[in-house]
Amino acid sequence: MSTQHSKAAAAYLRDEAVVTRHDQTFFAVRQKRDRMAQALPEWEQLRETADQIKRHTATHLAQYLEQFEANATRNGVHVHWAADAAEYNSIVYDILRSHDVKKVVKSKSMLTEECHLNSSLEAKGIEVVETDLGERILQMMQLAPSHIVMPALHVHREDIGDCFRSKIADYDEIAKGYAAISPEPHDENDPTFLTYVARMHLRRQFMEAGAGMTGANFGVAATGDVVVCTNEGNADMSTSIPRLHIVSMGIEKLIPDLSSLAVFQRLLARCGTGQETTVYTSQFRGPRPGGEMHIILVDNGRSEILGNPEHWQTLKCMRCGACMNTCPVYRRSAGYSYTYFIPGPIGINLGMLRNPKTYSDNVSACSLCCSCDNVCPVRVDLSSQVYRWRQQLDSLGRADEMKKFMSGGMSLLFNHPLFYKLALRLSPLVNWLPSSLLNSRFNPWASGHKMMKFPKKSFHELWKKL
Amino acid sequence: MEETMSTKEAILSRLRSNTRETYDMPSLKALHAITYPDPVEEFKTKAQTVGGARLLEAKKGDDLNALICQIYSDAGIIASNLPGVEAQLNPDTVAQAQDLETADVGVIQGHIGVAENACVWIPQTMKERAVCFASQRLVILLSKENIVNNMHEAYARIEQSDEYFCDYKFGTFISGPSKTADIEGALVYGAQAARAVTIVLF
Ligand code: SF4
Ligand code: SF4
Repeated sequence: MSTQHSKAAAAYLRDEAVVTRHDQTFFAVRQKRDRMAQALPEWEQLRETADQIKRHTATHLAQYLEQFEANATRNGVHVHWAADAAEYNSIVYDILRSHDVKKVVKSKSMLTEECHLNSSLEAKGIEVVETDLGERILQMMQLAPSHIVMPALHVHREDIGDCFRSKIADYDEIAKGYAAISPEPHDENDPTFLTYVARMHLRRQFMEAGAGMTGANFGVAATGDVVVCTNEGNADMSTSIPRLHIVSMGIEKLIPDLSSLAVFQRLLARCGTGQETTVYTSQFRGPRPGGEMHIILVDNGRSEILGNPEHWQTLKCMRCGACMNTCPVYRRSAGYSYTYFIPGPIGINLGMLRNPKTYSDNVSACSLCCSCDNVCPVRVDLSSQVYRWRQQLDSLGRADEMKKFMSGGMSLLFNHPLFYKLALRLSPLVNWLPSSLLNSRFNPWASGHKMMKFPKKSFHELWKKL
Repeated sequence: MEETMSTKEAILSRLRSNTRETYDMPSLKALHAITYPDPVEEFKTKAQTVGGARLLEAKKGDDLNALICQIYSDAGIIASNLPGVEAQLNPDTVAQAQDLETADVGVIQGHIGVAENACVWIPQTMKERAVCFASQRLVILLSKENIVNNMHEAYARIEQSDEYFCDYKFGTFISGPSKTADIEGALVYGAQAARAVTIVLF
């Protein structure tokens, strides 16, 4: 008996070239993040402050939400409240219907993914066009995101090229236009060329759409502002051309004021993609002249998470993606191996909070290396939370199969040389774990004996050095 | 409307009853953010490396239109509402935002430059802000006197004075041309918005 994650991961691991590329791509992002951290002497202080602000906001959320609503309303914004996905979807639909909107351009939002907004609107005859390039590629290929920030990095250029050629109606015309500005011969799957094709295709969508939808990276209680960060400028195209702007915001995205915003703006891109900043950090305070702006505040389980003493800190998460980029299990098993739509360390925990019976397969996708804890800009206690879920599996009736799986973990390691080498390289990290974690009865590697000390250099590493 | 009220009240009361311990807001005074011996020099470097923008230094009194011609010599339609800029499209008077899609070059005014990351604060000072995004290329004017060290200093300015959120209810930090790495991680400039940016420092 093994978990869904382990089966999917084992299948994924069969193609070593693909695994290695995935691993290296995301590890490179992790290394860029490290360079960002090292360049700022105040880095740890910044993380500590971010953690404290989020703790404070999450534990004063009702008052900040009321303040936010009052300020946004004063700025001329329509504020709505949605208890769950169904209510959220119907609010969006009602707004669009009342404006007779047939087509919506949308910038990336994990919340809309969480609520299955696109399929709900499409079922009612409204066309939804994702405008983030990665999301648009996935939408056209009918694939789900494999990462929350870089959702299509696992798709290969040849497949993207094929998709564009078959799905973009005016592809030939766009390609001709490209030849006029860039006459040198180019590969038909060249990323620069494909990005140009997408640019021209999406520009038409912006022109035609009746509404623009965005998520919110931050909501500022003191001013009622919504802040959206992108590199492509797609959120800005979506909201500066159509007159109707709908913001979807999880209630945990709130921060107190603009001084706090500085802290989070500085961390978000540095942690997530290893950049000093996103290209655009846009601050929406109200509707455009002649336009209309709506903000939908969505709960969908968040207010219950606050009451969970062991897992409430997931509410601090700002969806930067850093924990995925660093996680050795994520990097080598990729997004689709996880059964929840958000993969990696934070996804394991959010999935369990959504539905522990449905998503418990993912708790095995962790070697308790703690790397996620060390990169998280708001210091969510990710690995301890995963550990706590494992402790609770008994009450879910999933413990036995999970324990069997985890004992079977060793044979998985020996049967998959890549996993094995990786686990060995990481093993010295285990020395850092508190022994209560290591010697627990739920750590099958520790059952019946004390956890051994791993040498600082693994045998393989030493051997290679000789 | 009644139902909306009840959803709101239900969410707020769940939040109140699920709040167990509370935490204080930390003081941000203790946070010593990075500063630079010469923020203008740092900004110039970062704009070109981090932002991927071109940088041009001008003197007060230089002919702006000649500069724009020099930067983008092939520019056809210029869009701007800045006094003194010879433009074919004016974002204050276009019939609709869509019209700005035809702009080759948008010329806009930056109000704060941030040395640590090359961000330039652009408050919306035109009726249709699409000029900042839909134009193929952008020229951003910025005074050296308005360059600060880091985002804390920038947001403090925005917080303290109305002049940074001027006429309309929107402002944005732009650090360079629109870019993406969504296809196999390869960095490409010119995703959805402006595909080139030149910052003119006065
Ligand atoms: S502790 Fe687990 S979830 Fe976190 S990085 Fe390590 S393996 Fe991944
Ligand atoms: S848990 Fe932390 S590292 Fe992971 S996505 Fe959220 S904020 Fe980023």
